[in-house]
Amino acid sequence: MRLFSSNHEFAYSWDEVSTANWRKYCPWNDKSTHVIAVDTLARDLDAQTHILRTERLITCKQAAPKWLKSFLGSSEVSYVYEVSYVDQKAKKVTMCSQNMTWSDLLSVQEKVVYTPSRGAPGKTTFEQSAKIIALCGGWQKIKNGIEEFTVERFRQNAVKGREGFERVLAISREVFAEQREQARKEKMVA
Amino acid sequence: MSASLAPECNETKERYDNCFLKWYSEKYIRGTATNDECEPLFKQYKTCLSKALKERGIDQMLEDARADNKENDAEYMKLSAR
Repeated sequence: MRLFSSNHEFAYSWDEVSTANWRKYCPWNDKSTHVIAVDTLARDLDAQTHILRTERLITCKQAAPKWLKSFLGSSEVSYVYEVSYVDQKAKKVTMCSQNMTWSDLLSVQEKVVYTPSRGAPGKTTFEQSAKIIALCGGWQKIKNGIEEFTVERFRQNAVKGREGFERVLAISREVFAEQREQARKEKMVA
Repeated sequence: MSASLAPECNETKERYDNCFLKWYSEKYIRGTATNDECEPLFKQYKTCLSKALKERGIDQMLEDARADNKENDAEYMKLSAR
């Protein structure tokens, strides 16, 4: 088993981060190029709690080294199942993800939480943790190799994801400002 | 927004995504949403997507993943301490 965790503070409000999060993997993110599609499978607004639950399917395409292909097969496309919970009243986004591909050999479970920063008003804290377990039978050495490769790949993708998301946040802010300006002008004309 | 894994669903997906983002940023996040206004558009997109998932054999993998996620639903759908 390998554990991974990282923390980051985004210099944007929770409202902005939780909104831009829905387009984290849009073309504005020029870093996470391994994410080739994001589909929404289900979405429900709980009438009582106002918690918004969303199921998404994330399609990735990333080459694996030769030695690993002999275990996982030659496909470079993999699927991730993600369920997110937005609690608007508590200002908290929780996202839980797991691998769907190669799930009989490997278990990757990730949790991401976005909350307003405690010490810094207007900023948002990002907490990410992941648990990686090779499930295949056989030599411990091979399992260790698979886990080591996966946690390293996870770390690289996490850095790309953070950098790409920073760009999405910056562009989102510009676009929203432009839209507000446009709406204001239209109101003045009317 | 991001593409769909099924190119034939991109158009309905884009319409739905745009509707959702507007609803989320203007109503949900401000606490004024009473219902999900984009549901009719979601239904159109879902019809297309469900067919694509079935054709690609992804629907069965999804069933397994959903079953695995039950504990998270139980934990995160309840009211947090406020």
